[in-house]
Amino acid sequence: MNDASMDRRTWLASAAMGIGLLLSYGTLAVQGMMYLLPQQIGRRGRKLFAGRLVDYKVGGVRTFLDLEGNDILVKRDEEGLKAYSSVCPHLGCRVHWVDAEKHFFCPCHRGVFDETGIAISGPPADGGQRLSEVPLDVDKDGGVVYIEVKDIKRS
Amino acid sequence: MPEGVASEKKGFFNRIEALFPFDWDLLRHAGAEPVPYHLKKWWFCLGGTPMYLFVVQVITGIALTFYYVPSPAEAYHSVFVITHDIRFGWFLRSIHKWSANLMIISVFLHLLRVYFTGAYRHPRELNWVFGFALLGATLAFGFTGYSLVYEQLSFWGATVATNLADAVPFVGSYISYFMRGGPEVGEQTLTRFFIFHIGVLPTLVFFLLALHIVLVRLHGVTELHFEGEVVEKEHRFFRFWPEHATTEILIGVLLMYLLTILSLIWPAQLGAPANPNVTPEHIKPEWYFYFSFRLLKLTSLKVSVVLTGAIMGIAMFWPFIESWLKRKFGMSERLSIFIGIFAFLGFLVLTVWESFAH
Amino acid sequence: MSLTTKRIIVASLSFFFLAALLVVAFQESKRLRVEEREEPVITAANRGCVECHSKDSPALVMEWERSGHAQYGVGCVDCHAAESTDPDAWQHEGVWVSPLVTPKDCAQCHAREYEEFSKSHHAKAGQILASLDNVLAEKVAGMPGNNADAVNGCWQCHGTIVKFMRDKDGNILKTGKENKPVIDPTTWPNSGMGRMNPDGSQGSCHACHSRHAFEAKLSRSPENCGKCHMGPDHPQIEIYNESKHGIAFYANRDIMALDKQGEWVLGRDYSAAPTCATCHISSYMTPQGATVENSHDVGERISWTLRPAISTKLNLVIYEDGYKEDYPDTRAAPKVGEEIERTEKVVENETLVSKKVKGKVAEVITWEERRKKMKGACLNCHNDTYVDNFYKQFDDLVTLYNEKFAKPSTKMINDLIADGVLSKNAPFEHPVQWTYWELWHHEGRRARHGASMMGPDYTHWHGMYEVSKHYYMKFLPEVVEAAATKGIAMKQKYERIVGQLLAQDEHIWMKGLSAKEAEELRKMYQSRYNQ
Repeated sequence: MNDASMDRRTWLASAAMGIGLLLSYGTLAVQGMMYLLPQQIGRRGRKLFAGRLVDYKVGGVRTFLDLEGNDILVKRDEEGLKAYSSVCPHLGCRVHWVDAEKHFFCPCHRGVFDETGIAISGPPADGGQRLSEVPLDVDKDGGVVYIEVKDIKRS
Repeated sequence: MPEGVASEKKGFFNRIEALFPFDWDLLRHAGAEPVPYHLKKWWFCLGGTPMYLFVVQVITGIALTFYYVPSPAEAYHSVFVITHDIRFGWFLRSIHKWSANLMIISVFLHLLRVYFTGAYRHPRELNWVFGFALLGATLAFGFTGYSLVYEQLSFWGATVATNLADAVPFVGSYISYFMRGGPEVGEQTLTRFFIFHIGVLPTLVFFLLALHIVLVRLHGVTELHFEGEVVEKEHRFFRFWPEHATTEILIGVLLMYLLTILSLIWPAQLGAPANPNVTPEHIKPEWYFYFSFRLLKLTSLKVSVVLTGAIMGIAMFWPFIESWLKRKFGMSERLSIFIGIFAFLGFLVLTVWESFAH
Repeated sequence: MSLTTKRIIVASLSFFFLAALLVVAFQESKRLRVEEREEPVITAANRGCVECHSKDSPALVMEWERSGHAQYGVGCVDCHAAESTDPDAWQHEGVWVSPLVTPKDCAQCHAREYEEFSKSHHAKAGQILASLDNVLAEKVAGMPGNNADAVNGCWQCHGTIVKFMRDKDGNILKTGKENKPVIDPTTWPNSGMGRMNPDGSQGSCHACHSRHAFEAKLSRSPENCGKCHMGPDHPQIEIYNESKHGIAFYANRDIMALDKQGEWVLGRDYSAAPTCATCHISSYMTPQGATVENSHDVGERISWTLRPAISTKLNLVIYEDGYKEDYPDTRAAPKVGEEIERTEKVVENETLVSKKVKGKVAEVITWEERRKKMKGACLNCHNDTYVDNFYKQFDDLVTLYNEKFAKPSTKMINDLIADGVLSKNAPFEHPVQWTYWELWHHEGRRARHGASMMGPDYTHWHGMYEVSKHYYMKFLPEVVEAAATKGIAMKQKYERIVGQLLAQDEHIWMKGLSAKEAEELRKMYQSRYNQ
């Protein structure tokens, strides 16, 4: 629009129209996007029962399944409990705990992670990667352990 | 005539246009063509309305197709999931349903407007035929779309409709077999209806609509003058952009607002799932087929089918029939108006009557 | 219409449209919030169980699926897994299981609740096996080889020892292709509160927390307690229903937040009325704004014992090993640090035996402190004058019952025993024994319970009225009749005793009204009823 004289009223009307259309159709577009994205990103997780504190030996690792079918490795050390995802940050293979060596091992490219999940050898170490931590909660009353995993069912 | 955009643009746009060496100036010229003044009257938006709603249907329809499963075992459940689980699924489905209803209503109102302004007359007969075909396609959209939900009424409505098709003389059994994909409404039927609804009909409508609009542009829009109105001697025009475009945007937003309100107050529901073994007490088609249903109840299967077919045939080719009647019997245009009113009232009475019946 | 006007209209319409879309978004968020309960989590370990059992016993699986346990993936195996050495276990589809889930099993996660419950009176409910009640059911109502009255009646509330069928060598019999241990059918099913389990634990969590949904709203409802706390000998639910507390509850049930997950605090989550749980177990707010934690030891807030023939206040002795013992105030409470011997009832070889246990006293809690804990709940709705006066009214009723009826009748029975009229080994031989028993066990309790929970009708008509009527019209004459069976001399002795008793002021009414009193009464009736 390159009208010669744009008085204020015209300009305001055009601006209001532009903003109004943008906001309204934009909101509709956002709602449409949310409709098309089946998984809610950043949704609160599901708490899963992961045994009792008394069942964990210090230095031991127990595995639990999350809702996507992946193992969660829960380790107890002197300070307490920590939970790690078993998905290798390198290319997604599954790591496991090797008790004899006291480290986590990924068989695909021989990645090695120390007791705290930090990569110390192999391609993950080259990339300065670590096993991602899974939120964990211990109920003081009963010594019950919960791991918080992603919910996959709902949209 | 206001200046369109300058044909000699900065190098950038030229380079872009060179990628597709079409005569862009021609397009610019066509798009900048001024709009006749009588189109300022609001009657004339009744054509653009169903087109806009068609676009809404395509977009919401594509969205629904992301989650809909066209098999008898899964269809109902997938609609259930859309309505109850998917975020804003209920909303998009409700818009789709209401837009369908509004589209049918607005096509029909547009038909009435065109008829009662005599805009179907020579040389616009062909466009009337195309328009009527578009009406038929819109009704077919409604019918096939509703059957996809696979509720009781979907299933049994489809059964009744295909049985009606069966009653068409000579070719009836072929038509019904073609529609059902077999002797009974079942898996094949649903697949066919799905393909009709998302493939065949949209393509058909797209091309018919293109032809329809092209013809309108080529013929120009019939002027509408009321008795006693002061008609300017010269033709006056107004700009497509921004005046007419703004009108179109206005109608678009109004329709979106209306659809949203309707979706909030009367969201799309879900009846009982289809059960081929149990026919519900009261089967009814969608409201836009009430007139035909009532006719069926008043006469017999064969009679109502033949009658409906005949009326549709006459209506579709009315411009030709009317001019023949004019030539042969000197029928006045006034009579055409009365015939139109009579037909419309007949349709209205049958529809309302059926709506009160069980 | 000018272009500018059109633009303004478009702008307005688009804002209306936007507003409508925001309503849509609001509706959408409301829809998500309503469906708060997530899908149950069936872990790999439990999948096998669920697959079969959702066909074999679908409703049972559905109940579990809607439980709080299923939300966290706690399922079949987590509760039913057993050791191969457990007497009630067998190998089922490759897994050692037992259908008998005891408080010890629940304690794996609910340790605190088990701690509290196992020390409570509820856990000891099964120890009535040697009581008079049990004698009535097994001997008086039952017959040798068939104690169905005890099995279906007493034991279903109180619990029983879970026993197994054994061969002549004492080994548990097994049956079927899974070698399932054969349980004594008179002891299972049983969800009595004080069930004595094969693993040594006492009690049953399921008695209040019905499986497999384990709904909080069921446990918090008064009807839950009413399964056992009802009837002629302790009509607590009937009294509650009569009382204003009960009326308030039933009228406001839907705002009681009964199915609130987690804490349920009077004065914070609900206010309309107390339920049984509210006063006896649950959390309440204090004036300081803190919450008093709930406790599964139902005796913590009890100051009177209304159970025995003569009610006493209860002090609590807690030993260093955690064992809790109620001391009636008629018995001197030990001092902290004292090493004393207590008698515990435990199950050995499927029989209830008394064991003497030595222990050091860790804490002594007085009845006043226990009452204060109860008052904390009352004070959420009532002020302290109100509460203290209520307790005075309650105390006075118990004292009245004690002094006028309980103590004298008990003394008389003891005298009859001492004189050889009645035998301790034949507690229901003479009519007077039945009358006496019902006097304290039935109407006497009804009166005391009625006063304790504000049920006026139970206090008086079902309570003290019947106590007095039976005392005067049945008990006292029957004392003499019983004595008479031992000869004229004995009869005369007791006639004298009864006569001396009735000469006391409180019984003077039996002699009838004096002329003056009669006249006054007549005048009163005339002015009131015109008769």
